[in-house]
Amino acid sequence: MFNIHRAYSIARKEVMHILRDPFTLALALGLPVILVAFFGVVIDFEVKNIGMVSADYDNGPAARRLREIFLSSGFFREIPANPGANPIEAVDSGRAAAVLYIPPDFSRDLRGGKPVAAQFVVDGSDNSKGAAILGYLPGIQRAAIKKITGAAPAQGWEIKTRFLYNPELNSRWFTIPGLAVMVIGLLSILLTALTVAREWENGSMEMLLATPVRPLEIMAGKIAPYAAIVLAGVSLIYLVARLGFGVPFAGSHLLFLLACLLFIVAALSQGLLISVLTRQQQVAMQFSMVTGLLPSLLLSGFIFPVESMPVFFRYFTMILAPRWFMEAARGIFLKGAGLAELAVPFAALGSIAFILLAVAVAKFKTDVEP
Amino acid sequence: MNSTLIAFIRKELVQTLRDKKMRALVFVVPVVQMAVFGLALSTEIRNIKLASFVPPGDYAAGRLSEKFMASGWFKPVSFVRGEDPYELIASGRADAVLIPPPEGLERAGERGRGGIQLLVDASNATKARAVENYAKIITAAAYSEKGGAAAPPLKISVRVLYNPAMESAMFLVPGVMSMIVCLITIILTAMSLTREREMGTFETIISAPLEDGEILLGKTIPYIILGLVETGLVITAGFLLFGVPVRGPLWQLALSSLIFVITTVSVGTLISTISRNQQQAMLGGFLFLFPSVLMSGIMFPVENMPGVFIAAAYLDPLMYFVRLLRNIMLKGGNTAVFWQNTGVMALMAAAAGGLAFKRFRQTLN
Repeated sequence: MFNIHRAYSIARKEVMHILRDPFTLALALGLPVILVAFFGVVIDFEVKNIGMVSADYDNGPAARRLREIFLSSGFFREIPANPGANPIEAVDSGRAAAVLYIPPDFSRDLRGGKPVAAQFVVDGSDNSKGAAILGYLPGIQRAAIKKITGAAPAQGWEIKTRFLYNPELNSRWFTIPGLAVMVIGLLSILLTALTVAREWENGSMEMLLATPVRPLEIMAGKIAPYAAIVLAGVSLIYLVARLGFGVPFAGSHLLFLLACLLFIVAALSQGLLISVLTRQQQVAMQFSMVTGLLPSLLLSGFIFPVESMPVFFRYFTMILAPRWFMEAARGIFLKGAGLAELAVPFAALGSIAFILLAVAVAKFKTDVEP
Repeated sequence: MNSTLIAFIRKELVQTLRDKKMRALVFVVPVVQMAVFGLALSTEIRNIKLASFVPPGDYAAGRLSEKFMASGWFKPVSFVRGEDPYELIASGRADAVLIPPPEGLERAGERGRGGIQLLVDASNATKARAVENYAKIITAAAYSEKGGAAAPPLKISVRVLYNPAMESAMFLVPGVMSMIVCLITIILTAMSLTREREMGTFETIISAPLEDGEILLGKTIPYIILGLVETGLVITAGFLLFGVPVRGPLWQLALSSLIFVITTVSVGTLISTISRNQQQAMLGGFLFLFPSVLMSGIMFPVENMPGVFIAAAYLDPLMYFVRLLRNIMLKGGNTAVFWQNTGVMALMAAAAGGLAFKRFRQTLN
């Protein structure tokens, strides 16, 4: 029956393959590094340095104060308008993302106690920027009322928000733990699918099968080194998150490891299934990209929240392991959730991993044992 | 163009499109991807699970909570009275909890103590920020509707250009389009050239009566054609499925697409000259694509990146193409923007093409 030594020999052979092929190694180690660099350093969800043109037709003291308030908020920087041109031209040409129009008589009307309005024109061709700008405006308006008119803000109803788990809304606290989903979801599917498909393509799978090594041992031996690589990638992400970016880890390490292992099993089985079904590197690659990259990047809730999707996709994402892993990982990392709170994600992740593994093994066995 | 070259191009096209899986990959997958992106992904946060702890008898707070649910952003969560609000968030049953002042919102508001507590699960920071914004907007609207607040003495009114409803599809479709075109042309070109070398059929081509340049053109023009067909297909799909307009002149779209596709096909050729087998070509293409997609501004604004990365983004052909597409499709095609970005892309195409030709010749001989 299953002999661990034979599986070990296959694993050793696979490790040599990996070490000899610099490209695979580069992908395996390069991908986590690129991901961390981008999401940790390059991408900030808080939009700053928005180019703004001010079209001040008033030039009075209140208008100048209003401009200062915009610029001192830290979100905007002033872009000079082209003399003689319509200020909107700066938005059309992409030099600025917003125009602040201050109508003539702004300062005089304000002094005279008439309600005044300045207009803020926003470039809507980039939603991620536009939505952020719209979010900043109410705060700026409140500051302007207080500083320019001196009127106390309406003492009515006021929302006092308390942000739990991430009080300063540091976006890195949620993107970096989320990177684990990308590393596992993409890397393990791609690597397994490719290497097993290569074995079929070269005809060396037949040779392996002709040896006394049993199919399950071949599978275990081929998969184990990749599981180790992927786990190393996740550990790298964990270390960078904790040490590099100071992301707190509130939950249990054991539980996190369990979630990773379940997801790795699911992803490796998926890769294996792809390779058995396609048996060709090129097709295996395409399948892995479509079924590995898209779900983990876009449908897992990593960037775009699952709850905001239309009903069909909210149900559809339930069959995707990345979605459940993401929920578990964020819950454990920031909220310190335990098994009781995460019962549903863990049950789902476990079932998906089990089903994929069972199907992959069954398919593999029927394919090689006529 | 001589007839041998034309025959060569035709052979290459037939060979690529003969495989059923390849046809699906080139023509069906992009449209499906676009549909998924456009339908499923939204930059607007919706369906936020809100538990509102309104005590019985507090009608003002009850009405406010109804306003929250009617806004379309929030949906109610059922809970048992007396449950711990923190527990609701910790277990993930609620994303936010609304707690009006205990003495009743109406009375507290009159005394200037109308602070309504909102507990927000900030384990997703972007979402938390959106929740706070929505809550402030709804509360302010409800208060002034009640006649509580006089019109503010100073108002900043907003006008959103090009996409007034801030529809996500309008924003995502041009970006996704450029990504799909880039992905398919680079990977197809790199792999097909490498496959030829791997299988040894390259020798046959070299012995044909063709110049080096003609071989390169014969191998690359089919992918340029495919890339352009792809662009047309995706634009049509974006228009039919999501009503994403093309407000600028079509020739601008055609010319910039042509130059972009030439650039990406050259990059694909370049990758093929440095890779020994298809797997390496694939991974090489992937390692090029990943950073260029992330730095292009498709999802994250370029201005927001640290200086070094902005400098790197200026070397990214995809960034120029995304800018051009947004400019042409949504803004109506400002000519200065068009010529600047197309010019830079043309320079890149020339550089990448020249380099690819040089390397290609070396590998031929």
